Amino acid sequence: MTVKARRAVWTSRFILILATLLVAVPLIYQLGISFKQPDEVFSSVLSPFTLNPTLRNYEVVIRSVPILTYLANSAAFSIGVTVGQILLAVPAAYAFSYFNFRFKNLLLALVLVSLMVPFVVTYIPNYLLLAQYKLINTLPGLILPMLGVSLGFGIFLLRQHFMSFQREIIEAAMIDGASSWQTLTWVVAPANISALSALAVYILINTWNQFIWPLLIGGGRPEAYTLTVGVQMYFTNPEGGNRWGSLMAASVLTSLPTIIAYLFMRKGILRTFTEGAVKG
Amino acid sequence: MEIQHEAAFSAQVAAPPAAFADTVRKAARRLTPYLYLAPALIAIAVFVYLPLARTVQLSFYQGNLLNPTRLYVGFGNYQEILSSPIFHETLLHSALYLFFSLIGSVVVPVSLAFLTLQLTDREVDFYQSVLFVPTVVAFNVVVLIWAFFFLPTGGGLLNSFLALFGQPPNAWLKDPVWALPSIALIANWKLMGFHFLLAVAGLKAIPKEYLEAAYVDGAHGWSLLRRIVLPLFAPTGLFLIIITLITSLDAVFTPIRVLTEGGPNNATNNIMYAIYSEGFRFFRTGHAAAISVILIALFGGLIYWQYRLLDRRVVYDR
Repeated sequence: MTVKARRAVWTSRFILILATLLVAVPLIYQLGISFKQPDEVFSSVLSPFTLNPTLRNYEVVIRSVPILTYLANSAAFSIGVTVGQILLAVPAAYAFSYFNFRFKNLLLALVLVSLMVPFVVTYIPNYLLLAQYKLINTLPGLILPMLGVSLGFGIFLLRQHFMSFQREIIEAAMIDGASSWQTLTWVVAPANISALSALAVYILINTWNQFIWPLLIGGGRPEAYTLTVGVQMYFTNPEGGNRWGSLMAASVLTSLPTIIAYLFMRKGILRTFTEGAVKG
Repeated sequence: MEIQHEAAFSAQVAAPPAAFADTVRKAARRLTPYLYLAPALIAIAVFVYLPLARTVQLSFYQGNLLNPTRLYVGFGNYQEILSSPIFHETLLHSALYLFFSLIGSVVVPVSLAFLTLQLTDREVDFYQSVLFVPTVVAFNVVVLIWAFFFLPTGGGLLNSFLALFGQPPNAWLKDPVWALPSIALIANWKLMGFHFLLAVAGLKAIPKEYLEAAYVDGAHGWSLLRRIVLPLFAPTGLFLIIITLITSLDAVFTPIRVLTEGGPNNATNNIMYAIYSEGFRFFRTGHAAAISVILIALFGGLIYWQYRLLDRRVVYDR
């Protein structure tokens, strides 16, 4: 490599490292402040680190906020939406990949377009629909609309995977006398298990992080708060002065599950996000 | 059963001699794909398309969340909104948000992605993984750290930092000029890593042989980038621009809700947040619905364009 080329590589590297640091800075402060003593938050504001770290902020959060209730709500909401969407998306993607039928293209178009309708447009009508059936501030009220609103992505993603799956294997299963349902549950689904689990983690993370919708539907009853809503209510709660430490602790606790999922399934998650958008 | 499936796969099979049992079996066979589709399609119809229809209906009424069809007003809501200076301001702010997003969520991540061309996969993987973290953390929760950054007092993080260079404190989110760029910065911080990931994936999809051939032919640096990489990257770039335009107003939604609620004095409002606040803060469902219809009309072209891109990938690729 010439000197010039090597210098270009180092310039690129320098800029990328700088960008990475800039993006990480807010997260570093978030973590750092959560371990600071309350009086340290402003006295050494520029330093994200502290020499005498404390778990006091975490203690305050756990004692003053029913965090286990919120955690249970977040978990039930995320798992409910994930299981529901997978159960709906798998057969639909299967039908779109292996069957030929009238209106196929039209129905597929409706599925894809549904993904592009801004979420905010559906808030009011869905709120009214849920109110009509007395589902506001309930778990089913939280979960049900999410089964339709972002379902298209799962169908789209799975269809791509199903279609790249060897057609001969499926035809062989059929010739062996398997029904289409058996082919789906014995052959297609198990063979695509990595795509399915990546999709499941993707939906889990996105649902866990939902905020506006749980605020609208569960925000009226503290027993129905998810973690994201709970932290928001803690933030806007007027009592208490300098609570930045405990606020940051609360947000670290809320982010922890998705960060852990990301650490363990990074490759699959990055692939799912990419495939959903670019490769197709 | 097997017959049913063979038929399903080989599309059109010549109809066997007509017999009643056969007709029934054929009908069942035709129905099978719809049975697989029905649950998903019903969910989408009930929670996406029905609400869309309801939105159009509500836009002709004056009402609130308890009684959304209290009074029929025809096009009254549209007239009021389209002639309101506040709505014009909201549209202008929406355009500003789009502009900032094109920089922060297209130009920046694409430029960074181009810088990775000379680096090893492992190194690029590291940058991707770190830059992607904001995508997986709950947005309303990380926004709180930005509240701390942008504290209006001299003790706030950004103001303390600027004080090192002798700059006076700024009110940021409470300042009518700085509030919108600050909110836009937060949203782009959240989106940038995801778009970087997509841009790198788009670059990696360019066959290495093309680059090597061009390199052998003497193309280097700028000319390599401009003549070879850029044209091959164009579809990904276009896709990024479209999804940025579609998602950018949505991306600022959470920071606006948590930090400014559209203020100070409407300075950070945009068309999507206006729908939310009309409906759930001012309880004017008719206005919210009419703005929704206007939003869809404005974005319809974009949505259709994205659909065409997605559709091409879905239907014709394999």
